[in-house]
Amino acid sequence: MKENAKPRTLNMRRLEPYVWLLPSILLMGVMILVPIISVFQTSFSEISKSGVNRGFNGVTNYLWVFQNATFWNTLLNTVIWTIVVVGLSTILGIILGLVLNEKFHGRKIVRAIVVFPWATALIIQSVIWKYIINADYGALNALLYKLGIIKSYVNWTATPGQFFAWECFVGILVTIPFVTFCVLSGLQSIDTSLYEAADVDGASFWDRLFKVTLPLLMPSLTVSTVLNIIYVFNSFPIIWTISKGDPADKTHTLVTYLYKLSFTNQRVGEAAAVSVIGFLILAACASVYMVMTLRAEKEEE
Amino acid sequence: MRSFYRKRAALLKKIEEEKNMKKALALLLSMVMVLSLAACGGGGGGGKTSLNVIISQYGNYTQEWWNQFEKDFEAANDTVDLNIEIVSWNDIYSVVSTRIQSKQQPDILNISGFADYVADDLLMKAEDYTSPDVKSKIIPSFWESNAIDGTVWALPILASCRSLFCNMDLLSEAGITAPPTTWDEVLTACEAVKAKHGDSVVPWGLDISTDEGQAAFSYYSWNFGGGYLDASGNWALNSAENVKAVEYIKQLIDSGYCNSAPYTDTRYPLQDAFSAGTLAMMIGPMNMVSADSTVNYQSVNIPGKGVGLGVCDQLMVFKKDDVKDQDARTAAIRAFFDFFYNCERYSDYMVYEGFLPATSDSSDYLASNAEKHKVGGSDATGDSEYFKTFCAQLPTCQFYPMSMAKWMDVRNGVIEVEQQVCQGSISAQEALDNLQASITG
Repeated sequence: MKENAKPRTLNMRRLEPYVWLLPSILLMGVMILVPIISVFQTSFSEISKSGVNRGFNGVTNYLWVFQNATFWNTLLNTVIWTIVVVGLSTILGIILGLVLNEKFHGRKIVRAIVVFPWATALIIQSVIWKYIINADYGALNALLYKLGIIKSYVNWTATPGQFFAWECFVGILVTIPFVTFCVLSGLQSIDTSLYEAADVDGASFWDRLFKVTLPLLMPSLTVSTVLNIIYVFNSFPIIWTISKGDPADKTHTLVTYLYKLSFTNQRVGEAAAVSVIGFLILAACASVYMVMTLRAEKEEE
Repeated sequence: MRSFYRKRAALLKKIEEEKNMKKALALLLSMVMVLSLAACGGGGGGGKTSLNVIISQYGNYTQEWWNQFEKDFEAANDTVDLNIEIVSWNDIYSVVSTRIQSKQQPDILNISGFADYVADDLLMKAEDYTSPDVKSKIIPSFWESNAIDGTVWALPILASCRSLFCNMDLLSEAGITAPPTTWDEVLTACEAVKAKHGDSVVPWGLDISTDEGQAAFSYYSWNFGGGYLDASGNWALNSAENVKAVEYIKQLIDSGYCNSAPYTDTRYPLQDAFSAGTLAMMIGPMNMVSADSTVNYQSVNIPGKGVGLGVCDQLMVFKKDDVKDQDARTAAIRAFFDFFYNCERYSDYMVYEGFLPATSDSSDYLASNAEKHKVGGSDATGDSEYFKTFCAQLPTCQFYPMSMAKWMDVRNGVIEVEQQVCQGSISAQEALDNLQASITG
């Protein structure tokens, strides 16, 4: 009896964590897998305008999407949007983080101000910026005009390119605080003795920056960049609020495009196809990252 | 370093988990919604017939009027359990299509457009539930406007009419004494306003946004002599008149007469600007000038052919094969419409929301009795003169060809054409040819 009991308890021990995990595994499985499967299914189905599922229609939805010039333009926009917003906000966020790490009078207040754009709802900021840049009744024109900087009102959003540039600008503005705080927390964990050692070795400001600060910041920067790529790629409110992808669907990213397809044009099947494409792109990015991480981990070992 | 990579992997996992949490929450919420809906459908037992009605939100006070309606109706028909839900225009199409996908469609729906539902065989014929009394009251052109191949599928709930609004003070200061009646006069007036008022006033309001760009296409194409359909009722989107109309829109933008962002400005900020006196002319619905505006304005026929845009939303009834007692259901629906189109109640709703009636008895009644009814959310009463004027304008109005099966594609197509052409990426002729080919091809 005793001999039998021992392996059984051991077995239970080994099983125990899984028993505890079971509810969440179950929940996640149902909550994640079901929507994904349903989107995949929808993307291979013909959905009528009123929402009736007319059954499997092969890759028709995908062909429609790929033959659509707007899709390719949107894809290009999405890449530009992600790279520009994540890239520039990371660079600016690092600079701001370095500045805020220095001791100066009123630093706490400045740090609090930096949080504001992050703490305000995206949609509110987008609406505010939409009205600031409006050419006819926007604050920007009124201000510049009253200051005498411009002689007559400037149309800031005359072309799709200008629209998109403004949207990128707003995107950068709202992303900077997050990078700044990641950088700040990273900076605070750097041991000051490293700087003392660098000083003893006669390192210049740039040496300290590139050989001590930045390498040690890498972990926090990686975290902020990965998070930002996901957030920015999937960001919806800024573009939808400011331009809704117009003029002529030239300022869409994948997320706003699929929203418009689904809810304005009532093309649910095609929208699901775009959604699947976006999912695959992000999944590819994530797996590249995972492979790199695993490889690095192996090398360490 | 190893621990760092582990941490990094853990963090990535956490990111993924967070994303999944959001998805999970969304799904949970939608499940709760579906379940509560199912509960709605199953409820109302005790031998009562339950009717679920979705009404579009026409104003800020729509809910209050329908709450009262629900009470009054249930008091008068104790065998019917009425559930009225008000849904905003922003969501109504996605709400309805989600309900249809989950087979939870309402019994009665108030929306704009019904051809897609007919194509999927979801609607009941209007003849099956309209009493002779209601049918005789509805203005014939409205009754017929909801027909596809001779079969009527919906009832008109209300109408509105779009015309040209001019700020007479701004125009006369610029030396223009009368509202423009031709498209050339519009250009002259715009030039004069621009020369006189500079940046402080926008001469002409234009909305070719995704929200309602098809309205602009209608104003211009109809009044240049073109339109959506040819004489035999086939799509004729690339007619010479339509090309001219779209080129004219481009000319308005290129000359600097319009608001700067016609691609994204919806009608609402333009109406606000007009009410505030910073926009000289725009085409809009009859109730577009805000109540507290001090602008001295005139509302006249749209230049060119003088064709106004009539907007007429519908009430339609969905089939429900799973209901056991179909006769009781039909009777309840008939009672609903009899009650709603009752002259005084229906007229009250028209004054309340500021729209025009689609029945002849209410048109006659409101031409002299509008003062007996209140405007929604205020103590103001209706203005008989207003109903008299605009009810008379209604016959000159044309309507969107909503009974055509491809209307939604055409609607989105003409908006795309306007935006592409005005951006200068394609000529009007080419864009309209492409659209015509994609619709009829």
